[in-house]
Amino acid sequence: MRAKRLFSAALACGLAAGLTLGSPVSAAAEYSVSELQVNIWDNNQREGLQQIADAWTETSGVKVNINVVDWDNYWTLLEAGASGGQMPDVFWMHSNTAQMYMENDLLLNLDDYIAADDAIDLSNYYQGIVDLYNSGGVQYALPKDHDTIALLYNKALFDKYGVEYPTDDWTWEDVQAAAAAITEAGASDGVYGYAINTSNNQDGWYNIIYDYGAQVITDDHKGTTIGSEEGKAAMEMMRQILEVAAPQITVAETGTDSLFMSGLAAMITQGSWMINTFYKGEHSADYAWAMLPYHDANGNGTCDEGERYSAYNGLGWAASYNTADPDAAYSLISYFCNEENQKKQAELGVTMAGMIGVSEEFANAFPGMDVSAFTRAEEEASLFFRPYTRNTTIWEDALQQAGGFLDPWQDPSDPAKMAAACDNAQQIIENAIANE
Amino acid sequence: MTPTQKSEAKWGLLFVAPTIIGLLVLNLYPIANTIYQSFFKTGDFGKGNIFIGLANYQKVLSSQETWQALWNTVKYALIEVPFGVVIALLLAVLLNKKIGGRSVYRTIFFLPMVCAPAAVAMVWKWLYNTQFGLLNNVLHTKVAWISDPKIAWISIGIIGVWSIIGYNMVLFIGGLQEIPGDYYEAADIDGASGVRQFFSITVPLLSPTTFFIVQTRIIGALTIFDLMFMVMDKTNVALPKVQSIVYLFYQYAFTNGNKGYGATLVVILLLFIMLLTWILQRAEKKIVYHN
Repeated sequence: MRAKRLFSAALACGLAAGLTLGSPVSAAAEYSVSELQVNIWDNNQREGLQQIADAWTETSGVKVNINVVDWDNYWTLLEAGASGGQMPDVFWMHSNTAQMYMENDLLLNLDDYIAADDAIDLSNYYQGIVDLYNSGGVQYALPKDHDTIALLYNKALFDKYGVEYPTDDWTWEDVQAAAAAITEAGASDGVYGYAINTSNNQDGWYNIIYDYGAQVITDDHKGTTIGSEEGKAAMEMMRQILEVAAPQITVAETGTDSLFMSGLAAMITQGSWMINTFYKGEHSADYAWAMLPYHDANGNGTCDEGERYSAYNGLGWAASYNTADPDAAYSLISYFCNEENQKKQAELGVTMAGMIGVSEEFANAFPGMDVSAFTRAEEEASLFFRPYTRNTTIWEDALQQAGGFLDPWQDPSDPAKMAAACDNAQQIIENAIANE
Repeated sequence: MTPTQKSEAKWGLLFVAPTIIGLLVLNLYPIANTIYQSFFKTGDFGKGNIFIGLANYQKVLSSQETWQALWNTVKYALIEVPFGVVIALLLAVLLNKKIGGRSVYRTIFFLPMVCAPAAVAMVWKWLYNTQFGLLNNVLHTKVAWISDPKIAWISIGIIGVWSIIGYNMVLFIGGLQEIPGDYYEAADIDGASGVRQFFSITVPLLSPTTFFIVQTRIIGALTIFDLMFMVMDKTNVALPKVQSIVYLFYQYAFTNGNKGYGATLVVILLLFIMLLTWILQRAEKKIVYHN
């Protein structure tokens, strides 16, 4: 008993000592905090970003603690934090949720800081990303990066079945023909020419819709033309590819990326944020990227302006409205987004830059793998911003499920089902926007 | 009350205070708040709620989706509870006998309980995979275990049974050890067979334990969420025929950010569970044997 009492007394003393010792030692520089909490969701980027943040720490004396929280929990945690007034100091914003956070004044208003900051000129960044993080004329986040989409193929499978490699001159018809040839020849090995699920939207079928001249969400974010003739023509092309692609049950249960990396799908489309996964894959020597195929609308045999589209999206660096030291938080954001570090971010292979024209180095960040298809998309393709409205997830999820495009994906042999799904999609999006 | 009793009561209260406070803060307050929210069109981040009366209830109750999800949940419970209880009881009786390696078997059967539910779900997901799963490879079949709307609910139920057997079994073993050995000795002398002993001694004397397990498992099964969430992809065609009420709640409250609608769904589930519990409590006197 006595020993126990002594032990707990010692424990209490230890705790008290810990409390006094643990209290922040006053920061070296002009900032009132000694540490900033930064939340991100992509572990692939942590190392590179920490490297840049450490360089900032050297000048500011403020330590930067980068926490990685996986995508789903990231938003649950951030929302709970926002409701309770306990958000991290600096964190990523995304097009799915930005509007909600901005409208509720949960993000730090950056206008005055940007105006006083020589390193940041918003006209140097991708307009779509700048606009995304602007609400009511107030800028709430700075563009961190941008991503584009490309076609990924497995050279070994193309060699095995004697099909020519995809090139940057391929149309979607060429993809269909190659997929048909590989799926037929590979039937006994369980190999498919192509794999795409209804959930591969930004990195998949959205792009075809824009190639054919329709829009998933119109420029004013108030409507859609997915059910138009152009939209239906685009999804009819998609249907013909689906007929020779892996069945929906397979892509839903196994996942397109797993199928590809297991050598069971010859082609998929993917975003630049996924490069690392494939670069580090066991058979990465077999993998190669080509630009997204195009739609030869005028039939002249070459890709003209407006015939090849790639979705792009960009994250934003935002700060909490009640961060302990807004000056320090903005200083870090500005440091991440200035030209030098936007270049460095690309060089380190973290992501392509949110600033226009400084991403060439990204193409060299993966020795042995040519990823220039992503950077070339900027000059040789038209970019459209990832479709979003205020409550994107509501219609985005509905489009992927029964009543949306899941029906034709399940039965791609019937053109009427695809056309009906386009009409349903039009309805789903319009209803969702009406309720926003 | 005498001074001693008073002082005892005071200390007693003090000692249970942590539990009472915990229940109030962590259980009662959220329940009240959930019921409150179900009458609102909730704003983002808990701000700007608009009172809309019973509109959420109207929408939830008139939605085909709600009733399908409730039926899916009941179907899941109809697999998990009976099979989970019967198999666990048989195992408990076997493992209560003095057989070699008894504790090894007990450990093996209890293992699923120690595993993280998410890990369990991931492993089963791969076992069930139509094209590359072990199950279809061993059986030389091409069954879409988790993508065929007709059988996906059974496949999910099987995972539930597998996960819970060990836990139920341990409770049964505890109950079995409270049955005095004299009864079995007397039955032996009277020449009763093992099966007869099981049904005439074990089953009735174990009924309080059985009742406890059945009741808690019904509630557990009706609040199932993680299995569907982990095993089935969002684009799985069988999902509408398998998703539980809590899954639907998660979808509305957290993915779509419609907390009021989500709250209404769980209030309805709460009422449903309360009704079932009430019926079970009434039935307890008739089906449970107290000696």
